[in-house]
Amino acid sequence: MMLQILLAISAALFALGLLAALTRRNAIMVLIGIELMLGAGNLNFISFWKFSAHPETITGVMFAIFSIAIAAAEAAVGLAIVIQVHRRLHSVDVNEANQLKG
Amino acid sequence: MHALFQKIAALPWDQLPQWLFLIPGLLMLLAAFAAVCLRNLIHSALCVVLSFICLGVLFMALGAEFVGFVQLLVYVGAVAMLILFAILLTPASEVQASNNPLSNFRLSSALHAAAGAAVSFLVLAGLLAAIAFSPRAANAELPAQPAAAPVALIGENLLTYTLLPLLGIAVLLTAALVGAALIAKEDSKS
Amino acid sequence: MNFFALLKDFLLQFLGLFKNLETLPVECMRLLREFLTKLGELCGITMPQWALDTVSALVLIVAILVTFLVLFALMSVFERKLLARAQNRYGPNRVGPFGLFQPVADGIKMLTKEDLVPRAADKVVHYLAPIVMVAPALMLPVFLPFGRGMVAVDLSVGILAFFALGAGTELAVFMAGWASNNKYSILGAMRAIAQMISYELPLVTSALVVALVAGTLSPTGIAEAQSGYFCGFLPKWFVCTPWGFAACVLFYIGALSESNRCPFDLPEGESEIIAGHLTEYSGFKYAIFFMAEYVGMFAVNGLLVTLFLGGYNAPFPFLEWVPTWCWFFIKLWAVALSMVWVRTTLPRFRIDQMMQFAWKFLLPMSFVTLLAAAAWYYAGQGPKAWMSPAAWSASALIVLLSYLLLGTFCFTRRHSATNRRYLFSE
Repeated sequence: MMLQILLAISAALFALGLLAALTRRNAIMVLIGIELMLGAGNLNFISFWKFSAHPETITGVMFAIFSIAIAAAEAAVGLAIVIQVHRRLHSVDVNEANQLKG
Repeated sequence: MHALFQKIAALPWDQLPQWLFLIPGLLMLLAAFAAVCLRNLIHSALCVVLSFICLGVLFMALGAEFVGFVQLLVYVGAVAMLILFAILLTPASEVQASNNPLSNFRLSSALHAAAGAAVSFLVLAGLLAAIAFSPRAANAELPAQPAAAPVALIGENLLTYTLLPLLGIAVLLTAALVGAALIAKEDSKS
Repeated sequence: MNFFALLKDFLLQFLGLFKNLETLPVECMRLLREFLTKLGELCGITMPQWALDTVSALVLIVAILVTFLVLFALMSVFERKLLARAQNRYGPNRVGPFGLFQPVADGIKMLTKEDLVPRAADKVVHYLAPIVMVAPALMLPVFLPFGRGMVAVDLSVGILAFFALGAGTELAVFMAGWASNNKYSILGAMRAIAQMISYELPLVTSALVVALVAGTLSPTGIAEAQSGYFCGFLPKWFVCTPWGFAACVLFYIGALSESNRCPFDLPEGESEIIAGHLTEYSGFKYAIFFMAEYVGMFAVNGLLVTLFLGGYNAPFPFLEWVPTWCWFFIKLWAVALSMVWVRTTLPRFRIDQMMQFAWKFLLPMSFVTLLAAAAWYYAGQGPKAWMSPAAWSASALIVLLSYLLLGTFCFTRRHSATNRRYLFSE
């Protein structure tokens, strides 16, 4: 029961992140949505670890730590790209960055 | 008075601590929902920070203190600051949203939003159905020994089983740092 | 047995505790729990464990809050008096004996002032910023060991928790600066965040050095690792080692910067950007910002004492009769007053000098101390390093050589004078 509730919370967080990434047009909000989805993934790692048969092999915790590190790198590069796009196009609307369109 | 005391004391208080995780969990969802809905970018970024904090507290409540504090340190201390800086450096029309939502209403953007909402709702429904009908999730029991991740064990794991991923992460973070600085640098030409 | 007999019994026991000052605080907490259990028996119910835990946690919270708020009040008056003495004046001496009641007068003044909120401000964020500022600052002292066995929350990841909570300050400064809707406020907030992020790296890295040698992230474990003496009477504090001395200086500079003290008080430079993010705050909200800054300063100083200055351990064997918690607070005051000394002595940095100092000197130097500590640990075979000449010479050589190299080639007067760019001031 407890695991199901945790997974439901995580699924709801993932859906909210997806909603932010799909509906908002600001590139920064899209990045925020991706961060929320990564957080939902981490919550799954931790809750499966808590309910695993052998929690003393801390695989879930290690996965969560690595995933947090990758999320930080992703945020840094993503926001740098957003700033550069703003400098070129004077807009952070993801729909307007379409210069590669044929 | 005594009867009331005894009634309160007789409640299953020993089971309470394992359900306390619901408080940060629900607060996290609320903050994330507010972040998606609010039009002011800074407000939604601050709400996202609140939901990151709640996620960290949730990790701690589940017995992973180290991950919880790392979550707080990395997300509140670094990622949130990056996001807020980026919002201030890219002044978009959305920062100060217009008071009248109908003035910048467009049919295509409404359709876009509706499609996005439908997709994420479908994903949520699919995930919830999978969770509800999975027998393993329903029958999962807490292990006899409460799960704990002592920091010494994490350190040992980092330098033995996960040494290669650790080196990979080190290279990735350095590359990301240099790359982000290069990308965000102002072009001398323009 | 009635209530008053119970009370009298425990009061007598409480007075008896004063015979041993060393264990007084710990024994007080034990006595409180016993008293509550007996009181429950008197009322005919057995006290559940969670009720006892909650009450003792509340008592601990109140005790720590009162201690640190009294420290803040005393610091505010001592700092003004010391500054005045350094400038050949008297300082506050009107309220109470020697002006000691000045904080009370200040508090009443702050409480009765009008609380202004600019019309164009974001009211909610403007209101929340002081709260976000003060809550983590008041949580920080919880992780510090004030004496042997005297730590409120004994976490195995205490150092990490300390820095994780400290990250909340940046958020609060940003909220204050942005919500004020004022260009000086946002400039001050941007400066403050740039400074905090830059100086947090050497701060955390030099704390990591100690964790590396002590082999633990728990403040209690680190303080315990510094107990004992080498050569018979010299303290085994980490500041006495070459790498520890370098890391201690780096941590001290980082602590000065994190608590926005002179010479790093650019974010609230009154003469340049009219107090930065504090411009639009008045009355009690302003006082709360001030309080959070001072409590945060005491907490970081407490961490410095725990990491490098031996925590609650006595400096010499013949001074061990003084209770351990007295030693902690003596060292805390010594560090805090030395910060006042620095403030009276040094002028304010320019922002480009400050950033260059952080990234070109402090950060490489803190990585070097990490290397020197590793050399100390492996050349001296772990805990035996205190008596090993190889460990001393190896780590001293690394620290000295890299200090000279960095000072000569990377951070020179010529470097900081040319290519001047005033970030966030245009």
